[in-house]
This record gives sequence, structure tokens and C-alpha cells, in this order.
Amino acid sequence: MSILQEICETLQKGRAKQVKELVQKALDEGVAAQEILTDALLPAMNVIGEKFKNNEIFVPEVLMAARAMNMGTEVIKPHLAESGVQAAGKVCIGTVQGDLHDIGKNLVRMMMEGKGLEVIDLGTDVPAEKFVSCAVENDCQVICCSALLTTTMDVMAEVVRAAEAAGIRDRVKIMVGGAPITEEFCRSIGADCYAADAAGAADAAVALCKG
Amino acid sequence: MNTDAVTLRVNGKQLHIPRGSLLSEFISGEAPCGGRGSCGKCRVLAFGCLSPADAREKALLSAEELAKGYRLACMTRAEGDCEVRTLAAASPRILTEGTGEGYKASPEFLKYGVAVDLGTTTLAAKLFDREGREAASAACLNPQSFAGADVITRIGAALAGESARLAEVIRRTLNEMITGLCQKAKVPATAVGEVLITGNTAMLYLLTGTDPEPLSRAPFAVKRRFGESLMAGELNLFALLPQTPVYLPPCISAFVGADTVCAVLADGTVRGGTRVLADIGTNGEIFLCRNNKFYACSMAAGPVFEGVGISCGMRGETGAVDRVELVNGKLFARTIGGGKAVGICGSGLVDAVACLLDGELLDESGYLDEDPTYICDGVALKQADIRAVQLAKSAVHAGIVTLLSAQGLKASDLDGFSVAGGFGNYLNMRSAARIGLLPAELARTARPVGNAALQGAERLLLCPEMRDACRKIAGATETLELGGNPLFAENYMMGMFF
Repeated sequence: MSILQEICETLQKGRAKQVKELVQKALDEGVAAQEILTDALLPAMNVIGEKFKNNEIFVPEVLMAARAMNMGTEVIKPHLAESGVQAAGKVCIGTVQGDLHDIGKNLVRMMMEGKGLEVIDLGTDVPAEKFVSCAVENDCQVICCSALLTTTMDVMAEVVRAAEAAGIRDRVKIMVGGAPITEEFCRSIGADCYAADAAGAADAAVALCKG
Repeated sequence: MNTDAVTLRVNGKQLHIPRGSLLSEFISGEAPCGGRGSCGKCRVLAFGCLSPADAREKALLSAEELAKGYRLACMTRAEGDCEVRTLAAASPRILTEGTGEGYKASPEFLKYGVAVDLGTTTLAAKLFDREGREAASAACLNPQSFAGADVITRIGAALAGESARLAEVIRRTLNEMITGLCQKAKVPATAVGEVLITGNTAMLYLLTGTDPEPLSRAPFAVKRRFGESLMAGELNLFALLPQTPVYLPPCISAFVGADTVCAVLADGTVRGGTRVLADIGTNGEIFLCRNNKFYACSMAAGPVFEGVGISCGMRGETGAVDRVELVNGKLFARTIGGGKAVGICGSGLVDAVACLLDGELLDESGYLDEDPTYICDGVALKQADIRAVQLAKSAVHAGIVTLLSAQGLKASDLDGFSVAGGFGNYLNMRSAARIGLLPAELARTARPVGNAALQGAERLLLCPEMRDACRKIAGATETLELGGNPLFAENYMMGMFF
């Protein structure tokens, strides 16, 4: 088995420490950071995302894989920066105002990072204006809003209105997700994209960033 | 919309309703999803001039069912004259008994009194005579279920303009319950000298018509925490004399309510040592007493253990699988009533998952070998059901572990662990430990205390001198917010494994 294959499989098993060691070993052996990313880390997360979507694996396995992914990317990050590799896109994410639930949001963030996106995490209880100002200041292509409570999901409509008011609707897409959110709700508030799970959210964000 | 009247017959009873109305507005039934067309629990037989079935109905009803006339009441509109038949509701199993020690009414309590536990799903009530003896008991489902199964959905409905209707339906049910109790005991309802109604914070807000806005979003800063007497007239409890006092016990915080305080009282959780009381329901509450200091937390386990969100799920009613055993590699299911299995209730579900694990039909990650896997003839669990159980059981387990570890405690440090509520009572503790719903050390010594909330309510009714102590406990309890708590998040996610 090649070292890239080994990294890919170890990552899928969620063995963070081992992934970190293997990535370092690959670098030492002269494998390019870009190659480790595109031929080992990203394909591994794609498999995880697929399996999660098909209900073959569940939250803890995804979490472990995502952590392993992070450990791996930490090692190659300085090398990627050196060779001028760009992120696949830039996203800001947060749980809307009045809502403190961040487990789903964090999972989405990790899956997005696993797709090679740069993600700015605004945390929980985030006011609509903060999403918009963050997107403007950092040139994000996507704003991603999460809510777990039926009583806080309406804040997402405020985010859409705030983005309109700021005049960024032509260049920033708005994604929504969380247990009470539906495709219809997404349409009714004029958001661009609804994702049913973390893997789907990451795929959708990549597609939105490509434009 | 055209608002002229059309005729709707509900189980033969004729009503005149505005054209275009939703059928669910005119039938008393369940809508765990709050009328969003996503749970499929409000199915009825409907005929006549109806709106066509949309994608959501078609997702939940087969073409065959639609052809037979099955519809979802929350999605179907009366476009003209039509007829609805509600499906026979089985009698629910509602626990009214607790296991706490006996007590005597205060000598000054020389009147008839009613104690009520107003739960999100069910109501249970008892009438006491002048000597403090139980004269009658009653139970029924909470009629607010049309506006959702969980407190948050109901709070949302109240904020969306249903507040008056939610208060009205629960007050009507309380009137009927009190009248029924008095008829059973053959005393006039006007002889009732005091009523005590306990419940979670949201239920007391909706009952009293208090604006539930603070309960709807962080920081969940509730101003009204009850621990106060109102008059029957203020709550439209017309069965009673208008001046009759109605005592509402104190709540701890937005999601740890008077029912928890009452359960703590009945259980004696605060009698010394390090003790935990857990109420496992749609909203789970955990109360910890350590060195006379009190801590609490709540977590939304969801309605999975009420049978909602599980493909074959149902309440603990006739026909529900409530016990599953694995004998020589074969599954054996027992149903309530002993007849044919029509679904599975919470205690059966926990047993079934434990048996699937023991029989290696399900692995520790929650992966089901065969999807669906049959538990018995007519009842199967799908992969998605297992995932729903993983989320719910892990929330309860993580809530307990997080509250303990915030105080530097381990499960083995506890002197007592009590489980309140109907589900806890019917739960097989071995199965609860097997699936990781409860920490194994606690499940072994867990003491089911039944409907401790109602029993505490009885005590507060009959021994009014204890109300002050209760207010002190409620006021001194520190609530740990689990939303956004990183320790809880870690425990919750990793606790999803079996």
C-alpha cells in the first residue's frame, strides 16, 4: 500500500495521531503537500461524507474522521501556504441569535474544512448583522446559518434581509440547516440552499463557491 | 382565500366551517410535529371535496392508503363539503402512582383538594378528601398536542398566535378532569377547597397565558417562576368556585420546572448525601443534590421514547411491544394487552436495541446488518430508527455525566439514583445500561420512583407548610446550560456509540 493510500484509510478510521505521523512521514519522503491533500486527505473525507449520507456511519465516526483530517491538514498547512495553494472557497458559519446549539454547526464546519474550504466560525447566538459584516470583511462566498430551535429559525430570514440591505446578495449565497429546517422553509425566507446533513452541506458549499 | 362556509362531518357530527380550513383545526388529535406534515401521526380517513395531497403527504402515505381515503389532517383542507373519520385511539397507559414514602396531611388541611401533574404529553390528577385520603384519580393526554409534541414547538405556536387557544384547551381539560374526579368521589366540585397544579415551566406559562417569549430563545431568562397562588376564576376553572385557590409550585429555570421540584420533594433527593433524580421524557431533567447544594440541567432527548420519530413507534398503548428478550438467539416480543403487535413503545424500543446488540445484529457504531430488522411480526426497526435512538439515548447519558463531572463527581460517587416518570418506570434497567441510555453503575442501582411529580404535588397540596422549603430549593438550584457546553458536546457525540 502506498503511503497516500495508508493515510486515506487511517483517516477513515479516525486515527488522528496516526494520520498526523503518516502525513509527516509522507512529507519527509518528499511527497508534495498538495498531493497529500488531494490524493489522500480529501478523498478520505469524501468517503466519510458518502457513508454518512447513506446512514452507514454516524456522528461519532464523522467527528473522529474530521479530527484526524484536521490533524493532517495542520501538518501540511505551512507547506501549502508556501506553494501558494488557494482554499476552495471561503465560508462564514454560525448558530443564529437566541440559539446556543453548536454541535451540528461544528460538524458542518469540520466537513467543510474537510472539503478544503476556509471556514470562519462565528460561534453561537450570532446576530444577523454579524453574519453579513463578517462576509463583507472577509470576502466570503457563502453565509451558513444553523438553528436547532423552531423558535429561533426565523432569525435566518433576518440574515437574508440584512444581506439584501447590505447589497451583497449578488455575490454571497446563504445556506441554512438544522433539525427544524426544511427545503420549503429555505425557499420561503429567500435563502439559496438547504442542506439536510453535514456532508450535504459541505458538498453544497463547495458547489456554491465554484459559482 | 374563499371564506364561505362548508359542511364538515367529524365522526358523524356536523360542523359548519370556513371553506379552505385545515381538517386538523376541527379534530382533537395529535400533531407531534406541530402541523408541519412531517410526522404522519395525524392521519385520518377523509372523503369529499378536499385539497389534493401534496408531496409531504405523498411521502408519508402510500398510493394505496391515499386511495382508501387516508390523509394527514394537518395538511388537508376542506375545499367543499366533506367528511372525516378519526382513527380509533387506544387508551394510553399513564402512570399516576409514585413510590415515595407515605405522609400525613397537615391537621389544618380540612378540605377537599386536587393535585394535578400537567405534563407535556399527559395529565394525571388525584382528588383528596378532608382527611387527606385519596378519593379518586384520573389521567388523560394533553390536548395541546395539536401544537406539537415538545415544549419548544408549543412555545413557538403560542408566539405565532395560538397562545389563547393553548390556554383554553388545557383549562377546558382541567375543568373536565376536576368534574370527573368529583363525580367519581360523589362530591360537588364546589366542595374542592384548593387545587395544586405542577408541571414544567412551559406548561405553567401556557396554562396561565404568560408570554412565553423568554422561553423561546437564549438566554432563557424567565422572570415568572411561580411558587404562587392564583384563583380558579383567573384560570377559567369554572368547575370550581371562582375564589378557590390554585397553587402553582416554583420552577427552577426555563427548562427545569415545578414538576422536577415536586419530584425532588417526593423522592427525598435533598435528604442528604449525594443523590441524583432523573426524569427521562421528551425533555429530560436531571437534579443533583450534593452537600445541600443543588444543581440541575435539562436536555431535549426528543420524543423518541414516546414512540415518535420511530417508523413503527407508538405510545405505551394496547398493541405496543413493551418488552423484548433474546432467548437462544431468537427475539421474543411482548405486547401490552398480549395481542398482535402493532408498533413499539419506548421501553420496548430500548429492549429491542439491547437485544439486537446482544445478538450481534447491530454493531457498536449503530450499523444495522439488515435494514430493516424485524423484531416480531409486523414490527421492524430501520437504520434511521437506530440513529434516532442513538441521538436520544446519548443526550440523556451525556446530560447526567456532564452534570456530575461539572461538580467533579463520577457515577460511583452517588449515594442514590432515582428515575422519575412513566418511561423510567417501565424501562428495563439492564437494557438501559446496555444501550448507554444510563451509565451502567447507575442503572444497576437505579430506583424507579414512578410519577414522583404528582406525588410531590400531593404533598405540597396537603402539607402547605412545605411550600416555603420548596421555594428555597428552587431558588437555590444552579442550572447548568448544556447548549454550547463543550464537555456536553463531547460526551454527547462520543456517547452515540453503543
